[in-house]
Amino acid sequence: MQAFLAEYLPILIFIGIATIFSGIAVGASLFIAPQRPDVEKTSAYECGFEAFGDARHKFDVRFYLVAILFIIFDLEVAFLFPWAISLGNIGAFGFWSMMIFLGILTIGFVYEWRKGALEWE
Amino acid sequence: MTDILVVLLPLFGALLAGSLVFFSPKDDIESHKVDIIAQWITCIGMFLSLAAALIVFVDVALEGNERTTELFTWIESGTLEVSWALKSDTLTAVMMILVTGVSSMVHIYSIGYMHHDSSIPRFMCYLSLFTFFMLMLVTADNLIQLFFGWEGVGLASYLLIGFWYNKPSANSAAIKAFLVNRVGDFGFALGIFAVFMLFDSVHLDTIFAAVTEKKEATLLIFGSEFHALTITCLLLFIGAMGKSAQLGLHTWLPDAMEGPTPVSALIHAATMVTAGVFMVARLSPLFEFSDVALTVVTIVGATTAIFAATVGCVQNDIKRVIAYSTCSQLGYMFFACGVSAYSAGIFHLMTHGFFKALLFLGAGSVIHAMSDEQDMRRMGGIWKMVPATYILMWIGSLALAGIWPFAGFYSKDIILEAAYAAGTGPGNYAFWLGIAAAFLTAFYSWRLLIMTFHGTSRADEKTMAHVHESPKVMIIPLLLLAIGAVFAGYLGYEMFVGHETAEFWGNAIFILETHKALENAHDVPSWVKWLPLIIGLAGIGLAYVFYMFKPDIPGQIAKAFQGIYQFLLNKWYFDEIYNYLFVRPSFALGRGFWNVVDGWIIDGLGPDGISSLVRRTAIWISALQSGYLYHYAFVMLIGLVLMITGYLFKYIG
Amino acid sequence: MPFENLPDLVPVLPEIFLALVIMSLLMFGVFQRGGRAETDVNTFRVISWMAVVTLIVTPLLVLSLAGSTLIGFGGLFISDPFSVFCKILVLIGSAGSLVMARNFLEEHDMARFEYPVLVVFATLGMLMMISANDLISLYMGLEMQSLSLYVIAAFRRDDTRSTEAGLKYFVLGAVASGMFLYGASLIYGFAGTTNFTILEQVLQRDTQDEYGQSLGIIFGIVFILSALAFKVSAVPFHMWTPDVYEGAPTPVTALFAIAPKIAALALFMRVMVGPFGDLISEWRQIIIFISVGSMLLGALAAINQRNIKRMMAYSSISHVGFALMGLAVGHDSGIRAILVYLTIYLFMNIGTFACILAMRRGGVMVEAIDELAGLGKTHPLMAAAMTVFMFSMAGIPPLAGFFGKLYIFLSVIQAELYLLAVIGVLTSVVGSFYYLRVIRLMYFEDPDEPLDRPVSREISLIATLAGLVTVLFFLYPDFLVLSAATASSALFLN
Repeated sequence: MQAFLAEYLPILIFIGIATIFSGIAVGASLFIAPQRPDVEKTSAYECGFEAFGDARHKFDVRFYLVAILFIIFDLEVAFLFPWAISLGNIGAFGFWSMMIFLGILTIGFVYEWRKGALEWE
Repeated sequence: MTDILVVLLPLFGALLAGSLVFFSPKDDIESHKVDIIAQWITCIGMFLSLAAALIVFVDVALEGNERTTELFTWIESGTLEVSWALKSDTLTAVMMILVTGVSSMVHIYSIGYMHHDSSIPRFMCYLSLFTFFMLMLVTADNLIQLFFGWEGVGLASYLLIGFWYNKPSANSAAIKAFLVNRVGDFGFALGIFAVFMLFDSVHLDTIFAAVTEKKEATLLIFGSEFHALTITCLLLFIGAMGKSAQLGLHTWLPDAMEGPTPVSALIHAATMVTAGVFMVARLSPLFEFSDVALTVVTIVGATTAIFAATVGCVQNDIKRVIAYSTCSQLGYMFFACGVSAYSAGIFHLMTHGFFKALLFLGAGSVIHAMSDEQDMRRMGGIWKMVPATYILMWIGSLALAGIWPFAGFYSKDIILEAAYAAGTGPGNYAFWLGIAAAFLTAFYSWRLLIMTFHGTSRADEKTMAHVHESPKVMIIPLLLLAIGAVFAGYLGYEMFVGHETAEFWGNAIFILETHKALENAHDVPSWVKWLPLIIGLAGIGLAYVFYMFKPDIPGQIAKAFQGIYQFLLNKWYFDEIYNYLFVRPSFALGRGFWNVVDGWIIDGLGPDGISSLVRRTAIWISALQSGYLYHYAFVMLIGLVLMITGYLFKYIG
Repeated sequence: MPFENLPDLVPVLPEIFLALVIMSLLMFGVFQRGGRAETDVNTFRVISWMAVVTLIVTPLLVLSLAGSTLIGFGGLFISDPFSVFCKILVLIGSAGSLVMARNFLEEHDMARFEYPVLVVFATLGMLMMISANDLISLYMGLEMQSLSLYVIAAFRRDDTRSTEAGLKYFVLGAVASGMFLYGASLIYGFAGTTNFTILEQVLQRDTQDEYGQSLGIIFGIVFILSALAFKVSAVPFHMWTPDVYEGAPTPVTALFAIAPKIAALALFMRVMVGPFGDLISEWRQIIIFISVGSMLLGALAAINQRNIKRMMAYSSISHVGFALMGLAVGHDSGIRAILVYLTIYLFMNIGTFACILAMRRGGVMVEAIDELAGLGKTHPLMAAAMTVFMFSMAGIPPLAGFFGKLYIFLSVIQAELYLLAVIGVLTSVVGSFYYLRVIRLMYFEDPDEPLDRPVSREISLIATLAGLVTVLFFLYPDFLVLSAATASSALFLN
């Protein structure tokens, strides 16, 4: 039981140090830095959206497009990691399988490129 | 072969004339041609049929060659075997002569009487069709075929009563005739079923051969035993009552006068209405074994005779007077059969056929002359203008009243004598009522003659100006019938009811040894023989006093005996009683079924209810389709949850 | 050997062919010089015809696999007579709807080459659904089909009704997919496999041991069944159907009513009688429940519809109810009856939608049923064709629809599900009401303004062919019935 808990000791220490350092950083900026807030400074970002706003807020559909394209290629990368690690075990068949997958993905990529989905304007 | 010709020639005539109805002539000339063709076809058919019938009569009745001609099998189902077969014996031969003879005369007469009508082919077709069915009826060799002819003449009668179908009264009279006959036919059908149950056959000869074995048989009805033959005969007699307009089921006959007059002569006087008498005579081997049934026949017949005679005395419509007279004469025939004097009944049937057809056609001639006036109160004083008709009507009336030497004298006398000779209670009842009816018969016959032809005219001038003797085509058939009305009785007496009876009838009529009414009829006291004639003359005399010499007496009597007069004028209130007892309750019941059972229950729960339920459900379901996405998803989840819950309960709960 | 674990690609040949064609068509289309309207339309036309040719060639490839059962991709994929039969139906349906669509899309400014590509894509998904032998490959086919269909439902993207249809279909489809995945994971959790063949053995073993089936498996089946019911639009998962059918462009509706229905029903049959076949006593009640619900709702709700596409949506719901009756039977004769029914359904629907697509006035589609008034006088031939299809759907002999219903009822009665048969007959009586109303309108009402003429050649051709099949089916039903028998018996080999 003790040995089991002992394994978590580094994590406990890590949490402690993190709390202390972040406390110092926040406290120092609160007390040392000059406080002159304006509207732009108090907003979450100077570009992009309100972090907490109306969900039915209108936004440019191009964000949506970019987000979707991002997800597709993000997932592709998520596939690539396990594939790369186990490449030695799955051999040529595994290799070509991924190549075909990437090929199909590329066709999609070519399509969206030609369609102009990657251009903002 | 000739038997077949007799029966089928009228059918061919009817079919050919009937097919002419489908021609649509372009103009009057063409339609006149079509009419003439129809008349020729049917008349030729009828005369050939009459000629064949004469041959059959000589062969069968005079030379004694009874036979049955099998045509083909009609029904074969289990033990029920029915063939189309023509049975020719004396009874059939006599009926054939009568039917084809009167029918031929009526066909000819119709050419003249109906010549203004717009649908002559249809009329001629119906007439011939009727003749065919009547011949099927009299030649039947089994009860089913008899029933076929029976219903066939009923149909023809319905069609002809309602011939002028745009006259509402004609339509309702036709319906009435049909419905009242249904009551009788129901009894007849039950009688046939009973016969089949008893004898396992509907073939007449088979039944007659087996009847002695079954004379003690009983029938279990509602838990009590009844004498089977009595039940059967009574049921059959109900059928006869319907068709022959006997007391109780007679109400349709006077109304049937709505049909054209030749129809009244042929169907409602000479032939169809006598089918009941024929049936009783034909089934004499059955009736003979049931004293109860014979008693009922006697009493009903005698009562009808007097009832119709009393009513006939106060009627003012010329055709209705003759119609009630027919009813009354049919009563005579029935009580003749009831005292086992079947041959006397048939004898009267034949003579009556001639003189009653003569009277009807004569009346038709009068009506024709008076521009379709039928009320005797608006006639009178025309005898000089229509001499031939006048004389012929005299002959018919003399025959009807039973004055020597006219046909009615012989046949009516023998009936009354037989009734007296029967020596039984019902026999005496029939005899005395028959005498009374004979008096009334003579009275109303001369009342009719005097009111129609004598005195001062009560018709308007326009009608009087038009009064004319009928054309030859109408008078000649009357002459021929008159010959029958004069001589038929004298010529037929010996054969039908006299010394040659046994040879003449052969096996056609069966009489038990113990029923000796007809044999004894010739040995009755002489007052019995003279009484009908004297009574008849007295009736004639009274009529002369009342209507010729002292025309105000009838009115005074009617006033003095207002109750009796109204009772008679309203025909003993039969129609009113039936109206209350049957017609109105039926209407009420029908209306109730229509409104409540059909309208509410069947329609409401059935087609209408279901369709409105479907519609309402459809609207409700369509409303479920709200269009909101979350509703849809909700429904899906509800469905899923329901299914899961079902299994949860099944496995755990 | 580096290729020693190379999968057997032969059974997948038609799908691979289709996939390659789709990608080439996509590339071909996207490298056309676009921008101007005429060139776009030209590209669309070329690609559309090439897609049709592809959909006509593929059945030949499919047929070359007929007669034997082949397993590919390590048990993920199966090709057997059943899949061959259903695939041919799906391909005919897709090809038919694509041919009918061309004219419509050009006239309504939707002539973009993505449409045929997406249709073929969806068809590929359907073929994979039909051939799936594993919950994973099943899901892949299902999603490939659904995603393509979501897009083409909203293909007319400047039309609110079309986009609304696409969105509704997508959201509810996602809910159904979620259900499917949840059910599949339950099955996997309790049975330890996703492969149909193994699953069947496992469930068979479980059924025979003393503890019986665990509730987890049952729940998994219920979830999967619900998702499949959504795909075939059976009650109570039907709610999307009328809105999507009405909102989507008419050729898309035609496609929806035909191909995906057949594919989803094929999938339904394979899953229910295959891996879950031993649990028929468990799922039979659910099938009967959805079947009765679909028949009733389809018959009743259609009565009040004024839009012919909406009416056809309810009609398809009730047809699915009928087909599911055969599934409730569960054995050979039921499946055979469904296959016959689906084939006839395919032809009746292609024909009906060809007629609906011909309903236009001044170049604009009219969709109200009342607009058919007097068609018997203005377009006698089209009215005759429509009459044939409506009578056939109502099940009037000797038209094909009657035989479809007949085989279903025969199998249901053989299985002694009498109540179900009675309800089926009653609802088909109610249902005939709205089919006959169309006929009454066409022949007994006066036309206000005639519809456009002439009808395009492709549509007339398709309507004629479908009409001939519907009318003349009774002359030679053996071919179809025998093929269906072969196909259905393949599901019951082990």
